Amino acid sequence: MRKLLLSLFFLPSMAVAQQAGWGSVGQQEEKGFSWTDPLWPDFWMAWTSATLALFVGIFSAIALIGVLEGFKYRDGIERRGVLGLTTTLGDRLFITLLGSVYIFLAWLGLVGQPVWTPLFLSIGWGVFVFWKV
Amino acid sequence: MRTENQKAWFFVLPVLALVAFNALVPMMTVVNYSVQETFGNNQFFWEGLGWFEQILRSDRFQAALGRQFLFTFLILLIEVPLGIIVALSMPRKGLWVPVCLVLMALPMLIPWNVVGSMWNIFTLPKIGLMGYFLNDVLGINYDMTQQPLSAWITIVVMDVWHWTSLVVLLCYAGLVSIPDAYYQAAKIDGASPWSVFRYIQLPKMKTVLTIAVLLRFMDSFNIYTEPFVLTGGGPGNSTTLLSIDLVKIALGQFDLGPAAAMSLIYFAITLLVSWVFYTLMTKDDAQ
Repeated sequence: MRKLLLSLFFLPSMAVAQQAGWGSVGQQEEKGFSWTDPLWPDFWMAWTSATLALFVGIFSAIALIGVLEGFKYRDGIERRGVLGLTTTLGDRLFITLLGSVYIFLAWLGLVGQPVWTPLFLSIGWGVFVFWKV
Repeated sequence: MRTENQKAWFFVLPVLALVAFNALVPMMTVVNYSVQETFGNNQFFWEGLGWFEQILRSDRFQAALGRQFLFTFLILLIEVPLGIIVALSMPRKGLWVPVCLVLMALPMLIPWNVVGSMWNIFTLPKIGLMGYFLNDVLGINYDMTQQPLSAWITIVVMDVWHWTSLVVLLCYAGLVSIPDAYYQAAKIDGASPWSVFRYIQLPKMKTVLTIAVLLRFMDSFNIYTEPFVLTGGGPGNSTTLLSIDLVKIALGQFDLGPAAAMSLIYFAITLLVSWVFYTLMTKDDAQ
């Protein structure tokens, strides 16, 4: 009788174990969002969320610059900057992107991962280009 | 308020669609591949920027890149001045004009792999005309299948043979467009042939020369077929230029990730050099 009472004492712990996830062993784990998993596994272009975000970023930057050049600053956006180049907004975006590629490549070749520092360097480069070049 | 006919944009749309499919979509796929690893079967595993790190630090890539720059540098150094000299000495009037133009255009009409095979047979040490002549008549030790220096001389000469005429034709077009009045004025002033070249012909050829240098840079930097057919990248690795190495990695070893990373680095270099060339050469016009 005392043993039975003792087992009663353990019953709540079983419930706690169930709650803690032991009961879901063997069940399909629900997957959260991942930047690096294949987006559409059967499609040949091998998209991931990270690379998709990269292209969405580039294309929206081009679109934004296009809208600005086409409507807001229709006349006379060209200017001569510190490098002695005559640039428009689009030129500056191109210089920013190309420069960023080289900042990242140089960092990867000379220092290695992670790439937080070149990220900030690239943002700084972009600010400088749009401000001065 | 500017009034412009915006209808022209619609005529550009088909080209945009075409470019999207044959350039942009493959390019985006290459970017996707460059950060992943695959063992085939359309399965991909995330790799991050590791391939870029690996490629940038590999001796193999650095060596191929060095060879590529050397090749392009030699090509431009020979073809541009040679092209200008040939264009200057071509007749501008008379019966010989079409003859010269056709002769100049001939090498460019030959497909690239045929040029490679032609030069291969031509320069083989025992059976080729040039190889036999150099070795057995002149007594020069020349064997492009064994000696790196001979192989290099052969691919450079082959490219000069194949593409100098492009520079010639572009420069010739620039020269023909100079009105006679310029030359008459120079004659009255008693200008030397050098000053005629420096102050009349060269400035008038500048635009076409810009295009010629750009085209020759991009073509020679991306060259694949001719050296591949002629030497196959050998002897050893001595003529393995970037694109030959790239194809070896992508199709020979099927390492799609590293190959994609390498193509993006390759693309970035081509883009930067072309942009710098173009900016420097058109800078004076903008002022």
